[in-house]
Amino acid sequence: MNDERTYETAVARLEAIIRRLDSGEAGLREMLELIREGRELVEYCAGELDAVTKGLEELRLEELVARLEGGARDPDAERRSAGPG
Amino acid sequence: MADAPQSRAEAIPGSRLPGPYPVGAYAARLRARLRQFAQVQLVGELWGLRRSRTRVYFELRDERGALPCSMWLTDFEAAALEVQDGVRVVVGGGCDYYPGSSSSSPSFSFAVSELRIAGEGDLLAALQRLRVKLAAEGLFEHQKQLPRPLLPRVIGVVTGERGKARDDVLAGLERRGWGGRLVWAFAPVQDRHAAPKIAAALRELAAIEEVEVVIVARGGGSLADLFAFCDETLCRTVALLRVPVISSVGHHTDRTLIDDVAAVCCSTPTHAAEAAVPVDPVAARDSLRGFAGRLHGHGRRALLVRAQLLAQLSRAPFQHLMRHRVRLHQLVRELRAAGRRAADERRNLAGVHLLVLRRSRERALASDLPTRRRGLERLALALAAQDPERTLQRGYALVEDSSGELVTSAAGAALAGDVALRFHDGRVPARVVASEEGAGRE
Repeated sequence: MNDERTYETAVARLEAIIRRLDSGEAGLREMLELIREGRELVEYCAGELDAVTKGLEELRLEELVARLEGGARDPDAERRSAGPG
Repeated sequence: MADAPQSRAEAIPGSRLPGPYPVGAYAARLRARLRQFAQVQLVGELWGLRRSRTRVYFELRDERGALPCSMWLTDFEAAALEVQDGVRVVVGGGCDYYPGSSSSSPSFSFAVSELRIAGEGDLLAALQRLRVKLAAEGLFEHQKQLPRPLLPRVIGVVTGERGKARDDVLAGLERRGWGGRLVWAFAPVQDRHAAPKIAAALRELAAIEEVEVVIVARGGGSLADLFAFCDETLCRTVALLRVPVISSVGHHTDRTLIDDVAAVCCSTPTHAAEAAVPVDPVAARDSLRGFAGRLHGHGRRALLVRAQLLAQLSRAPFQHLMRHRVRLHQLVRELRAAGRRAADERRNLAGVHLLVLRRSRERALASDLPTRRRGLERLALALAAQDPERTLQRGYALVEDSSGELVTSAAGAALAGDVALRFHDGRVPARVVASEEGAGRE
């Protein structure tokens, strides 16, 4: 599940969990399990939102290709060396 | 050559060609001859437009050749056209030649007297044929079936480096509040070399795994300007890319083939940027806070409600006893009250009865006593009249056998033998003696 998790699947699952909880049909054990899973999904989605709101980073295609070919993986290093196109 | 050679120059020895003639005369004759060429219309791409004080110059090109053209500036401005390099035009005019002089260079040109943008109708017809062909192959569907990320971390953009579309894309992403990684793949967006370079940029962006969506953006222009985005090879490239492509080419009234092939077609680069990030991060964060709050509420209620239920259940036996105790007390109170009420009622009833009896007795005593007394006296007299003692007092005696039974006949006396004679003042024993008549007395 985690390998295939995306923001879209996480939000969809979260909405399904809320619907199930709102229905009042879940027993205590299921309810606690759903709440635990829901909190985990909220944290994941918040992380995804943080990742796309931390600040615009502009790169030229050639720079990115050179970086990937050079094996640069440190995001901070990439951010420091990146500049507006 | 009508003009005879005027110079004294000698001809080339051994040459069979006429002359030599003065070059100016030859140039004049050449101009005259060229001007005799038929006036025609030509079609091709306009390149290298430049202006002088009185004329404009450009080249007309196609795949097979080119022709230098010139036009009076007044005619050009009267046409009121906005032409750029690469635009396909139709020109009308004929050949001309400037013979030059000792101080100026000669030049050949096609003297243009009429100019218009090449018929868009032709382009549209060609475009429509290509559109039908690509649609029949299903190439318009591939991109639309690709899943589009709601919140991409990396967006690729293909556009002109100095075009306004670049700023519009940035403005759109800023308005959306998106702050991920933006990869620019700059390419020419208007000339015969544009389409292959745009396709190459798209392929390179798609080859980078982290790129999740690509925007292709270009500002407005004539259909001829935008024709690079109708290139068949480019459209086939877009159709088969692994990443969704969002196109924004030209104004909203323009419709290029890449718009048909792309996953999403937007009217402006700003809208394309917003379409690349379907989720507004600010709104999404608010929504997420709502989800978290509801989860917290459900969790709290799940435990609280059950805790309250358990507490209620734990109090139930005591409350049950208390209810019964209260009920019993109530019943006891009711019983006591009922007893008091019954005793009071009986007491009252007995009082009434007593009163009635008293009154009855008083009535009886007052009315029946003399009568009853007289009755009693009569009964006493009657009883005294029947008393055997009174008979005995008058001289009679009773004969009793030994057991005290009365002997009332002579035969009984004979059988009894010993008897007793009872007088009013006591008993006397006696014996019956038998006689001839059967019985005697001693």
